[in-house]
Amino acid sequence: MARRVVITACSAITPIGYAKDDIIAGLEQGKSGVKPLRDDGLLSEYIHSRVFGTVDYPVNYDFKRLYRKTMGPVAFYACRVSKDILATAGLSPEFISSGRLGVAFSSTHGSPTVQRDIYKTFYSKSKAEFSSIGAVDYLKSMVHTTAVNITRMFGITGRVIASSTACTTSSQSVGFGYEAVKYGMQDAMICGGADEYDTTTVAVFDNLLACSTAYNDRPECTPRPFDADRDGLVVGEGAGAVLLEEYEAAKKRGAPILAEVIGFSCNNNGGDLILPNLEGITSTLKFALADAGLHPAEVDLISAHATATKMGDVIEAQAIAGVYGDSPLITALKSYMGHTMGSCGAIELILNLYMMEKGFVAPILNLDNVDKRCAMIRHVRELTETDIKIAAIQNFAFGGVNTCLIIRNGSEVD
Amino acid sequence: MKRDEIQTEIVKILEESFEFENPGLDDNLRDVHGFDSIDAIELLGEIEKMLGFAISREEKQQAMEIRTINDILDYIEALIVERNK
Repeated sequence: MARRVVITACSAITPIGYAKDDIIAGLEQGKSGVKPLRDDGLLSEYIHSRVFGTVDYPVNYDFKRLYRKTMGPVAFYACRVSKDILATAGLSPEFISSGRLGVAFSSTHGSPTVQRDIYKTFYSKSKAEFSSIGAVDYLKSMVHTTAVNITRMFGITGRVIASSTACTTSSQSVGFGYEAVKYGMQDAMICGGADEYDTTTVAVFDNLLACSTAYNDRPECTPRPFDADRDGLVVGEGAGAVLLEEYEAAKKRGAPILAEVIGFSCNNNGGDLILPNLEGITSTLKFALADAGLHPAEVDLISAHATATKMGDVIEAQAIAGVYGDSPLITALKSYMGHTMGSCGAIELILNLYMMEKGFVAPILNLDNVDKRCAMIRHVRELTETDIKIAAIQNFAFGGVNTCLIIRNGSEVD
Repeated sequence: MKRDEIQTEIVKILEESFEFENPGLDDNLRDVHGFDSIDAIELLGEIEKMLGFAISREEKQQAMEIRTINDILDYIEALIVERNK
């Protein structure tokens, strides 16, 4: 029997801030977290795109060495936001280690910083250096490093899901966590994703001509979702975590209900691994509505994937128009912080939670001239105060993976 | 290196890199300080740097029997004796 699933805590580290109030202020003030690309002494001088969605403020990590020793930067991010939500939630130690709390968390690469150091050692041709590869390098760089460092730090013994699917990594984490609770395999799940500062990812998208290059001297002017003068995505970094709980248990312990997850879909285009696919994306949006049992007109807000690539935004606008017409408000949160890769689904979900609570929709930054091919949907172009009852968060990934999460405002949950 | 010199270096490594607090020479490393197999491998890397020579795979396996700081000191002294033969 399907159970109801609610979000009871959240935390995000983003290029526009970490604390909830900072992030909300950033959204209200139209703050951009896109900064000049840092020199990495390796790839950066060959990359045409000179911008990055950057976390340029200090984050306090009060982790003991016992836990730090198996963490690369990406796991620090993951454990920080997970520690935040566990501190907020106040779950009992008995429950945390009961096997009924699981973790669905991942990243695009594991830790590319650590991987890079390993490769440097491989190519050094020095036996002394080869033998000095740290015992923990694999633990820091493996794809599921975030998930298992979270389990280790907090003594979590439930199931681990570490789905690494590029830009849908953390939307899958939340979706698969939702299904695990909904169908009774777990009673609660820590879900999310993280990705650290990494020029390798920039280089990959740069070589595919998918990165923004025209605004290198004005980082805050890019990315430009749905704008006629958009020229590609901006890679970013960050982390986001939410706590999902079974509704009755959450209500019984008096937990704040931030939102209810009412629908999730995930499919694959079954073809090209790079090009966006109208049919595949359209199906995803319809599957999520069906899972939520909603008519399209009931959705108030769509948080679009909207990376600001030439093709991607047009296909997404066509898919939205085809399924919803022009009724829901459309925002594009990557305009504030770039594409935070494996963390974008969770971060964008959390920003939607904040907007729902505060009753506003953040406008799409840098949308000066709407591309005519994207003009048939209802872009939010100025800060809009409104009650959002239902929001859909869309994410699409290299590999042809598509996801859609649908949430109901916590104030509407009874 | 003399035993007291080795002891000074090892205690310094354990305090600074492994964040040991007030290590005793006969403390059980796992029970008292949470020292695990990952730490053991990392410490062997530090010992190689300290001694300036590589430790063989067989010698590293012998290190897995170590339980206390005194055991570490015995182990290092044996390595030095072996290399000086």
